[in-house]
Amino acid sequence: MTGRITRALTETTGLLRRPQRTVPLVRKIVSDKLRVTFEQRHLYSYTTTKRASGDALNSLVRWILDAQRPDGGIAAYYSLLTGYSQSYPEVTGYIVPTLYDFVRAAGHGEEHEVVTAAERATCWLLTLQSSTGSFPGGVQGVTTQPSVFNTGQILHGLVRAAAETNRPQILEVAALAADWLIEVQQADGSWSGPVAYQNTAHTYYSMVAWAMAELSEHADDHAGQRYRQTAEKNLNWVLPHFRKSGWVDGINLHGHPTYLHFIAYVLQGVLECAILLRRNDAVEMVEKSAWVLLRKFETNKYLAGAYSPDFKDNLRFTCLTGNAQMSCVWLRFYEVTGDLRYLNAALKMNEMLKQLIPVRGPRGIAGGVSGSYPAWGRYQAFRYISWGCKFLADALLLEQRLLQGIETSEYEALACAS
Amino acid sequence: MRIVVLGASVYSETSCAIAAHLAKQGHAPVGALVLSTLNRGTLLRKLGQWGPREVARYARTKLAPGKNSESTEVNNPYLGTMLAHENQFFRSLREIGSVYGFPIVTCRDQNSTASISQLKRWAPDLIIFTGGNILRKQLLDVPRLGVLNIHLGLLPETRGMSSPEWSLLNRVPVGITIHYMDAGIDTGPILQRFELPDVNRSKSLSDLRHRLIAFGIEKAGEVIAGLDQGTIAATPQASLHFIANQDSQFFVMHERLRARAAERLASAHQASPVTMVNG
Repeated sequence: MTGRITRALTETTGLLRRPQRTVPLVRKIVSDKLRVTFEQRHLYSYTTTKRASGDALNSLVRWILDAQRPDGGIAAYYSLLTGYSQSYPEVTGYIVPTLYDFVRAAGHGEEHEVVTAAERATCWLLTLQSSTGSFPGGVQGVTTQPSVFNTGQILHGLVRAAAETNRPQILEVAALAADWLIEVQQADGSWSGPVAYQNTAHTYYSMVAWAMAELSEHADDHAGQRYRQTAEKNLNWVLPHFRKSGWVDGINLHGHPTYLHFIAYVLQGVLECAILLRRNDAVEMVEKSAWVLLRKFETNKYLAGAYSPDFKDNLRFTCLTGNAQMSCVWLRFYEVTGDLRYLNAALKMNEMLKQLIPVRGPRGIAGGVSGSYPAWGRYQAFRYISWGCKFLADALLLEQRLLQGIETSEYEALACAS
Repeated sequence: MRIVVLGASVYSETSCAIAAHLAKQGHAPVGALVLSTLNRGTLLRKLGQWGPREVARYARTKLAPGKNSESTEVNNPYLGTMLAHENQFFRSLREIGSVYGFPIVTCRDQNSTASISQLKRWAPDLIIFTGGNILRKQLLDVPRLGVLNIHLGLLPETRGMSSPEWSLLNRVPVGITIHYMDAGIDTGPILQRFELPDVNRSKSLSDLRHRLIAFGIEKAGEVIAGLDQGTIAATPQASLHFIANQDSQFFVMHERLRARAAERLASAHQASPVTMVNG
């Protein structure tokens, strides 16, 4: 409660310090209110936008580049009340693969600037590692407390940066981080205690297991096996938390609703880890949850910002980041199963998300992804968040790649052709 | 057999074609219950399905017949024979009702108490659903036999929306299923299913849909005759497990995939040596 009051005071003070921020704030509130009031959702409809995915992608990456702080880290968010936050190690880490993916995708003219941004981000991350191998939680300068989740997310960036740059130093830092993660892992495969958020084990730490599985692909045989075992141990701990309904227990956010962002984290982490470890049982578990959410999206035309157990109730706002993550999950399921319904849902989801990206506006707003829609929803209210841009960029990059496959495939005769 | 037609609009070409086709076969409905044309829900649904331009064109054709050339044509050319009457076409259920002597009742909600009471007064053996609201159990329980639906896909493989397009994209046979409705989406007991012959003859997706609708109405006539004679019985879908643990529901297809389905159909059409035949 004290934290919430402090945050509210800080944000209000931010507006008093820079009253000119009132204009974009009011504009955002009015536009979201109008949109919520007049948008029509029915069974036959889905949101469409004329904005091309490539154009939206460029604007998302531009937002990320603009959010890079002088130290090289990426800000957590741009608040309509207080402006940019400090650099955020966790997000800076897992934005690095997105930047390299963007560069690799054909047809973008900003490669050099984006590569430089990825390298600056990596260099900054290297300075943050403690002697134990861990990385701190929270935004820059707030705490030095080691964090499993942040270390895992940063590991994603380090593994990719090492692969892209062939710098052994980066891989050494990654290995040290991974060794620390092995050291603090519980016997049951979870991560809990003071190195975990709220001192509790969380199923969404499957994102950490995914990073370990990724690193195992780049390590020598002996180290690779240790990393794989750690990932598998966590996967084995997470899987019993899946219910028959597709719901996942153990997200454990005390004092917060179970935001879609965290549900999607569990699904992404388990799915990617399972693909790397060739665990079909885990892929099937995630598919159940992914399908339940797909049905909800197709029926309601959006996913709720938070759900209660068994997806029974939901709060009346949308967590755009969680939606983008689910688009990534569906696109990966299309890739894995070939079931076009996943691609279909992701295409519609991406359309819905693209039309919510501001085309114009000052730095920090144009090209950004807001925490909630409408902006006053419970998740990261009145903020454009860097991880929202990251996941939507990931979804659009995946969409581009997979559509190339479907649109260039040769015609095959109809099964029903006479 | 006492039959009631449940439709989305008094001007619905599909509803008209079914009512006229059955009447011509000697199974004239005892009544038709349709949503009022100016119903907000219908208008929004049509706007979503067709877009504003097509809705405006439709309104012009239906509300001012005879004032433009379109009134001398039918939107779905394959329904021409069914809608033909004395060198003209039936334009609304009211016209068919006045010729064959059955009442048309409009409502704002097919599930409302008033609608249910009206349906009960007609005491139908069978209700034929051609569009409107999602039907509630109370309504589904009214007819002696059930509420019949013509689904534009083969059940149980292809449930839900955009079925012809999904069938093309998934390379499964295109066809129609005549089934009783239950609380689920296209999950009710199946009366009969039919593959559409010569799919390659369809020039476009809309042409394919038009053909399927006409084919479905024609086959529904046969099924209803079979029900009347007691030669056809329904089979629950639960006994037709074709893919274990797989949900066969499909949803509205995104335009990118729809374009791919259209492309596939167009290629097949061009490759086909058979010339197009109406009917």
